[in-house]
Amino acid sequence: MQRDVGSVPLAPALRARLVSGGFQTVQELLETGPCGLSKEIGISKEEALEVLQVVRQECHGDAERAAARSGASRKCTALELLEEEQAQGFIITFCSALDNILGGGVQLTKITEVCGAPGVGKTQLCMQLAVDVQIPECFGGVAGEAVFIDTEGSFIVDRVVDIAAACVQHCHLIAEAHQEEDHLKALETFSVESILSHIYYFRCRDYIELLAQVYLLPDFLLEHSKVRLVVVDGIAFPFRHDFEDLSLRTRLLNGLAQQLIIIANDHKSAVVLTNQMTTRIGQSQSTLVPALGESWGHAATVRLIFHWDNSQRLATLYKSPSQKESTVPYHITSHGFRDVQPPAVTQHAEGAEMNPRKRPRREEEK
Amino acid sequence: MAAKKLRRAGLSQELCERLSRHQITTCQDFLCLSFLELMKVTGQSYYDVQKLLCKVSRACAPKMQTAYEMKLRKSVSPSSAFLSTTLHSLDKVLHGGVPCGSLTEITGPPGCGKTQFCIMTSVLATLPVSMGGLDGAVIYIDTESAFSAERLIEIAGNRFPTYFDSEEKLLCMTRSIHLYQELTCGSVLKRIMSLEEEIISKKVKLVIIDSIASVVRKEFDTKLQGNLIERSNFLARGASVLKYLAEEFSMPVILTNQITTSLSNGLAIQADRVSPADDLSLSE
Repeated sequence: MQRDVGSVPLAPALRARLVSGGFQTVQELLETGPCGLSKEIGISKEEALEVLQVVRQECHGDAERAAARSGASRKCTALELLEEEQAQGFIITFCSALDNILGGGVQLTKITEVCGAPGVGKTQLCMQLAVDVQIPECFGGVAGEAVFIDTEGSFIVDRVVDIAAACVQHCHLIAEAHQEEDHLKALETFSVESILSHIYYFRCRDYIELLAQVYLLPDFLLEHSKVRLVVVDGIAFPFRHDFEDLSLRTRLLNGLAQQLIIIANDHKSAVVLTNQMTTRIGQSQSTLVPALGESWGHAATVRLIFHWDNSQRLATLYKSPSQKESTVPYHITSHGFRDVQPPAVTQHAEGAEMNPRKRPRREEEK
Repeated sequence: MAAKKLRRAGLSQELCERLSRHQITTCQDFLCLSFLELMKVTGQSYYDVQKLLCKVSRACAPKMQTAYEMKLRKSVSPSSAFLSTTLHSLDKVLHGGVPCGSLTEITGPPGCGKTQFCIMTSVLATLPVSMGGLDGAVIYIDTESAFSAERLIEIAGNRFPTYFDSEEKLLCMTRSIHLYQELTCGSVLKRIMSLEEEIISKKVKLVIIDSIASVVRKEFDTKLQGNLIERSNFLARGASVLKYLAEEFSMPVILTNQITTSLSNGLAIQADRVSPADDLSLSE
């Protein structure tokens, strides 16, 4: 294995001594043996043995890593990826128009960014998704748990209770209409209390707490392997003030984005971030653009922009690798995130009114 | 949290000394460095640096709570979740009143009653809990010199004549409203930063800032280069400290704002298209 000595993850001082001792490839190291190494470099025999063990682990690790599932160097054909993508679930938003333009809902293993002016509904969507990710599989959900990282303090438990109650009621009505066994069984464990106890909430007050939490997130997700959604509500807020050094900010944000992409892929979960809007002053007019700059725009795979048009809330799919750019209206009711109801709506029982909100997939189960 | 010294994060003494030689003493300095820099500075291998990073992160990271635990905690003391405004329809729309633990912004054109609302809520906050108040002191930061103590007494006397039946009670109420007149952005920010100790010592249950827009508009002109960034910095810093105080002490914080005309498509729109003067980042 003609690997260079400088690329082995040893302590820098040790590495420097090996290089100055004339060793260039790991093969030379392995040939010398621990006693010879300790004599030539001037380190103790135990240290030399450690070095050789690390080197051997690295060489074997290289061969294994190519076949390993996790890690950045994943290899598979596009066909395998297609099969994976088709079998993957989506997290619905309960607004079927929005689900349609997203291609079924919020995708797992991707980062979705939601930008918008204050008050337009970003946190409402995040709370709705934290509830919807827990919908059991027989109702068309992914049956996962949610991690909610809050930097702005806009998470209100009472609102989540309302949204969860509406979601549970919706599932009850579907179960009544279909009368299938697994529906009723799933409903036994799907209640407002269970929904609330599976939303893991972290309140980060500044960017250091946010960085620390994201470093610790992989370990947390290993313990709670059912998590399928990570929401960071307000990724812009801690980074928008107190930053004289903009290059540090860009570096930290890029690092954060990378870690979130790794988390999304390794744990097959969706990552949803909310961003603020800022004014860009042009020559003659000022426009509203997402905050955190141009380079941050590359971090998210899917970008949604929420905005107002008179008094109607609109959602625009701004960036997506697979869907077309389009705009749909949405509504925020006391039950949560919903479609805009068409004007001629009949006052039948709740069951009949539900049909426009149902996802196309669920209708196939009928 | 970020300024926590590395020594208290559980790192060994010699490692802390080595890091302090490179001017890295707090968790913030440690977490802002990249992996390679950390390896160089600590002199340790890749895997050891990862473990160190986890250790330091654990010292800074917030505690986890499930939404269910939060709900249980709230349901234990439901009455302390809101400050009722005593205006029934407003309370109904707000689901109980001005929420404790978050910032509330009151905005409107001049003369519509924002300062009057603030004066009234100050009276309400000093009332005992049985009457719907918070039984505590009030910190009132006044930037427009619009606070009138006589009006305060007038409102208290007319609104709650049975409670404020004696001169003594009125004076006691006025003694618990602490007024600060700040006329510049810098002094407002300094005042906000120093509020934490005052809140504890004076048993404050409500903070009012009337109005944040007037100092900002006096000092920052958004047409000038760089002023927009400085203005957002100032507002964001103030907002984050106020949010922290509101959450930490579970008390309402009320801010008042002014309005201006928003110019859309280059035309000045008349009164029905006004929007708050403040930068978007504050209303978050």
